[in-house]
Amino acid sequence: MLEVLMYGAIAALISGTVLPLLYRSKNTRKASFGLSLISSVLLLGFAGAILYTGKEPVFPAIRYLPGLDFTLAADRLAAGFILLIAAVVPGVSIYSIEYVEHAKSEARKNLQAALTNLFILAMLMVVLAGNMVGFLIFWEIMSLSSLLLVLHDYSSEENKKAGFFYFVMTNISTAFLFLGFIILFRLTGSAEFGPLEYSASELALPFLFLFIGFGVKAGLVPFHKWLPYAHPAAPSSVSALMSGVMLKVAVYGFLRFLLSVSTPELWWGVLIITAGSLSALFGVIYALKENDIKRLLAYSSIENIGIIFTGIGLYVIFRVEGLESLALLSLAGSCFHAFNHALFKSLLFLCAGSIVHATGTRKIEAFGGLVKSMPATSALFMVGSVSIAALPPTNGFAGELLLYQAFFQSFAVTNPLLTVFLIIALSSFALTGALAAALFVKLFGITCLAMPRSEKSSLAKEVPKHMLIGPAIPAALCILGGLFSKQLLSLAGWEIEFPDLLLLGLLLGLIYAALFLIIRSKETSPARISETWGCGIPTLAPYMEYSSAGFSEPLVMIFKNIYRTKIVHRAEYFDRQESLFRNGNVEIRLLRFFEEYLYIPPARAIESFSKYVSKLQNGKLDSYVLYAFLAVIVLIIATGGFV
Amino acid sequence: MNISFLLFALLNPLFALLAAPLYMALIRKVKAYAQGRRGPKLFQVYYDLRKLMQKEAVYSPTSSWIMRFTPYLNLSTLLVCSLFVPLVFVPEPAGGLGNIIVFLYLLALERFFTALGGLDAGSAFGGMGSSRSMSLAAVIEPTMVISFAALAFVLKSLNLHQMFALTAGTVLPISPTLVLVSISLFIILIVETGRLPVDNPATHLELTMINEAMILEQTGKNLALLELAHALKQFLLMGILINTILPVGLSTEIDAGKIAVSALLFLLKAGLLAIIIGLFESALAKMRLFRLPAFYVMAFFFSALTILIEVFA
Repeated sequence: MLEVLMYGAIAALISGTVLPLLYRSKNTRKASFGLSLISSVLLLGFAGAILYTGKEPVFPAIRYLPGLDFTLAADRLAAGFILLIAAVVPGVSIYSIEYVEHAKSEARKNLQAALTNLFILAMLMVVLAGNMVGFLIFWEIMSLSSLLLVLHDYSSEENKKAGFFYFVMTNISTAFLFLGFIILFRLTGSAEFGPLEYSASELALPFLFLFIGFGVKAGLVPFHKWLPYAHPAAPSSVSALMSGVMLKVAVYGFLRFLLSVSTPELWWGVLIITAGSLSALFGVIYALKENDIKRLLAYSSIENIGIIFTGIGLYVIFRVEGLESLALLSLAGSCFHAFNHALFKSLLFLCAGSIVHATGTRKIEAFGGLVKSMPATSALFMVGSVSIAALPPTNGFAGELLLYQAFFQSFAVTNPLLTVFLIIALSSFALTGALAAALFVKLFGITCLAMPRSEKSSLAKEVPKHMLIGPAIPAALCILGGLFSKQLLSLAGWEIEFPDLLLLGLLLGLIYAALFLIIRSKETSPARISETWGCGIPTLAPYMEYSSAGFSEPLVMIFKNIYRTKIVHRAEYFDRQESLFRNGNVEIRLLRFFEEYLYIPPARAIESFSKYVSKLQNGKLDSYVLYAFLAVIVLIIATGGFV
Repeated sequence: MNISFLLFALLNPLFALLAAPLYMALIRKVKAYAQGRRGPKLFQVYYDLRKLMQKEAVYSPTSSWIMRFTPYLNLSTLLVCSLFVPLVFVPEPAGGLGNIIVFLYLLALERFFTALGGLDAGSAFGGMGSSRSMSLAAVIEPTMVISFAALAFVLKSLNLHQMFALTAGTVLPISPTLVLVSISLFIILIVETGRLPVDNPATHLELTMINEAMILEQTGKNLALLELAHALKQFLLMGILINTILPVGLSTEIDAGKIAVSALLFLLKAGLLAIIIGLFESALAKMRLFRLPAFYVMAFFFSALTILIEVFA
């Protein structure tokens, strides 16, 4: 029975991919998104049943090469992430029905619909894959379909660069995954994801490779730079899927490996927490300075991935220390936060798409006053901001609360150095949370409140209904997921001591209503409307308002060591002594630390190496024959020497 | 839900709501004496609140529902918070109310909406206040979390009710490390309630104001609600500090006599603390905004030290 739901979902996604490629019309696009919606409903039933009953469906294996089977498998971990996909896809599909119509040409509209379905299918299959081969195949399909979606608007120079950057990074990720999986394959002799009962020193290398491979895809610092490039280039619905789901698929892959290891070591956990905390902190600190709404959200995704990895690291540490209940608590917190981030980040990206569509710009400084011109979108945006700022009683808070509880009880560990480490990690975790709150006060406040800061913003109109219903689904789930977090956790089988947020939410609501009614009933004089006081200036103008850069200035000052600026001079001269100035320029900009010191040097090295290699490629057939001959000779000598 | 908690849920918020404004006035009075003035009457804050309640609200045409929503939300949040800190007696815990992390994040909820309210009217003052408030809150957050983690670690619970059930009945703090935590808690109290040397509550000068700037555009009833919420926040944080350092007399049983003694003693202890805060404020000048992180590091140090001592001892 369960298998049928699964096959139905896969069939729906395949037909959703093929259909818009065959017929180019608005109706096929609608049908295509309808099919992805249907698939998500089927998946919801499938994953929900597995999580609730704990029974795992059995899929037949298809043998396509000797020793290599094509298998599907869905255990509780996979079911959790399938549930995540099923929760994000409906909102995105409904939103896309309208949103895709704003693409430039008919062909691109259809292509976007088809690729979106393919992308969802690939992500689903990665989670369902029963062995490493299937995992890698679908991983590549996922990367390539998302690459094509990022390159959707390929005519602009900026987007081409973003696409290329993403392409390189995603291939680096795959390369590391290959390395990790090959070592595991040699160790176990099978491509299955089985329990790995080997010593930690044997698993150290695959751990490092897989950590880097999945870390690149998830966007951990220092491998994060593709995110802030790819997201502004991609359509907003695709950003919602990439940030909401694809990053979590990387988290899934990493968890799949980590949970099968029977004896992890302490340094794994310390490494994961360090990378996670740094990602969280750098993500939010860079986001604070950002003026592009989609890039800001991309940095915020890096922050949240950092939080998820912090939880995973805590899990490893507690397991090594033998604190099983705390390990469970951190794992639950990590998975729950992954689920929540999928919801509120897709919500925020969809709202950002609506805002960018309505105003025609991505610059936060140009927004303002949208709460009046786009009330429904602003309300949805507010729900997303409150959730991501982890304020009670939303789901964002519930996830972080689990991690906080694990941290607060973590001082039971016996190793004193570890205690110091955990104090540092907890303070960085707390700082991240508070900075995220500041970030989203800035984002919501500058975008939606006060007066429109530009003409574009003052002309903004509310978006059509599909673009409101779409984000309304994750918004509702954010609120419900928070209120019913205790109940959801116990439904998923995690019996954890957890405050009842439903009670808290009800209390807040009831007290609010009571206060409101009491004060309204005593009201004697109606409210007046009067100009904001402008220190004697007759009317306030938008340029007098606090700006986005102004808002983050105190934090930029406090963290000024991180936002280093760089002065770049370029000058040309007429003469060799450099005394007659021809022309030049000087720019002062933010130091792009990771790019300039971490990405560019290896890229340069590879470039110069390939120049050297390309000299061998002279285009003459006889020299190629010579190369082949030499290669054969070398092979014969090499194998002959060893056999 | 048990009877003990229901009774607590009635008494504790009411007590906090009625008593909180008194200590705003008391601190002002102490400061006035220190400056050689007589200062306002002790009940002046109550008169002010009544006056504001009778006035109509004035809204800017640029403002939105945020500005109308925030005052009610803030007071309701703080009223929910008042269920977390036992002042009159310690009830049996119920439904996770009293969780120290939830308490922290309810304060964050209040701050989030106050800051949005500051941006809503479009005045540069409000924006400045919001920006500074959120920035300073971000920098104090690690200290707050580590202090509360230390408190939870020493008192072996995440629930404020369970923690103070442990300290209640003793005269002095049950562990010497609690003295260290109390220093941090005192600094947090100063920072969170916007007092010198962080913020000057008595000022309306744009260079120095933080909290006042955010609520500058609020008027009438809304202002009264915000002021009340602010007073409540101060009172509750004072409550946590007092229950930690001087828990003497805090009742754990439901007994009319004991509850009355407990409440009365709390009023006296809070009075003492308010006098200390007043003298502390009088003795210090406001710090430069960017010097403040160094001030917070001190509190951070004491809390981290507490955890380390407890771990190694």
